Amino acid sequence: MNDPINVSLGERVISNDPNDILVAYGLGSCLGISMVEPTRRWCGMIHCVLPQRNNGTEVDSPKFVDSGIEGLLKEMVKRGCDPHRLVIRMAGGANMLLASGVSTTFDIGTRNIESALNTFQRLGLNLKAKEVGGNLGRTVRLYVADARMTVRILNGKELEL
Amino acid sequence: MDEQSLPNFDKALMTTLQEVAGAGIHNAARGFSNLVGHQISVNQPQVKVVPLLEIPRHVGGLENEAIGIYLRAEGDISVQIMLIIPYAKALLLVDLLMDVAPGTTTQLGSLERSALGEVGNMTASFFMNAVANMTGTSVRPTPPAVMVDMVGAILDIIIATSGSISENVILMQANFADGERSLATDFWVIPDALTLKLFKSTEDSARNE
Repeated sequence: MNDPINVSLGERVISNDPNDILVAYGLGSCLGISMVEPTRRWCGMIHCVLPQRNNGTEVDSPKFVDSGIEGLLKEMVKRGCDPHRLVIRMAGGANMLLASGVSTTFDIGTRNIESALNTFQRLGLNLKAKEVGGNLGRTVRLYVADARMTVRILNGKELEL
Repeated sequence: MDEQSLPNFDKALMTTLQEVAGAGIHNAARGFSNLVGHQISVNQPQVKVVPLLEIPRHVGGLENEAIGIYLRAEGDISVQIMLIIPYAKALLLVDLLMDVAPGTTTQLGSLERSALGEVGNMTASFFMNAVANMTGTSVRPTPPAVMVDMVGAILDIIIATSGSISENVILMQANFADGERSLATDFWVIPDALTLKLFKSTEDSARNE
């Protein structure tokens, strides 16, 4: 097994090396979105920070949910993956200030989730599984070897998504 | 420090920030002493400018368990203040505040959380007062939000609200001491661009006088 590959804020990582594990550590309001093409074994993950790109700039940037999904899809297709066979999963989008009563106006988590669902619909993509919302941070792992995606919360076990 | 890479923070601005932080934290220590009824002192805080993404390295990694105390200052200027304290250290801070032997606090119930919230509240208030005095502005902090979670998730609050992942933030390191017991804490102050400009103009007019 290789060392886990950190999919850091605003990054996209794609791999077909069965020894690779892609990890997004401590997702709060951010979203970890993964795409897997079962026949070709390509696995990709993005770590998105904000719901929407700024007016058309930063095309395909993984920093934003909408451009991030478009960019990941493009890269998967470029590698010969069939968009209709993609297994798509996502986790994150927590409202970290939910319990505090400080403010709901900054609920970026919920807006990230909405943006992702809209983008999937617009692009005709099917979401297979999600573990989103709430007010707890999550670490997400994608195992290239068997395409397993797991979610773990603080002091919790790794649970398969 | 490489000033080339930090265009918004020149040496003079850093000196101003050091003064603001120094005044703010000393006031906060006086406040803590009144709160807990015994003397808590604080050393001269160190002020550094670091990239936002370096925060996890100071608090033990993205997945590490930590306490986040978050406030925003509203008014003439807008600043976010975040205290991130590794979990074990937060327990010791509660011991210090409650004047019990180190190791007494083993979990964070609502009382402990509100004590930590008060730490944030006071630090922020006194910091904001120092800023207000220096710049002639009016600001007030929001009530503190206290959360226990992974460092990465706590950081998302700052990253999502500042909308940038490439930003530099101000790190203040202060050492709270109660007799022989002392505890180093890190505070992160995330000023918006407008606030930095205000700091800058204050420092410019001070230089011209």
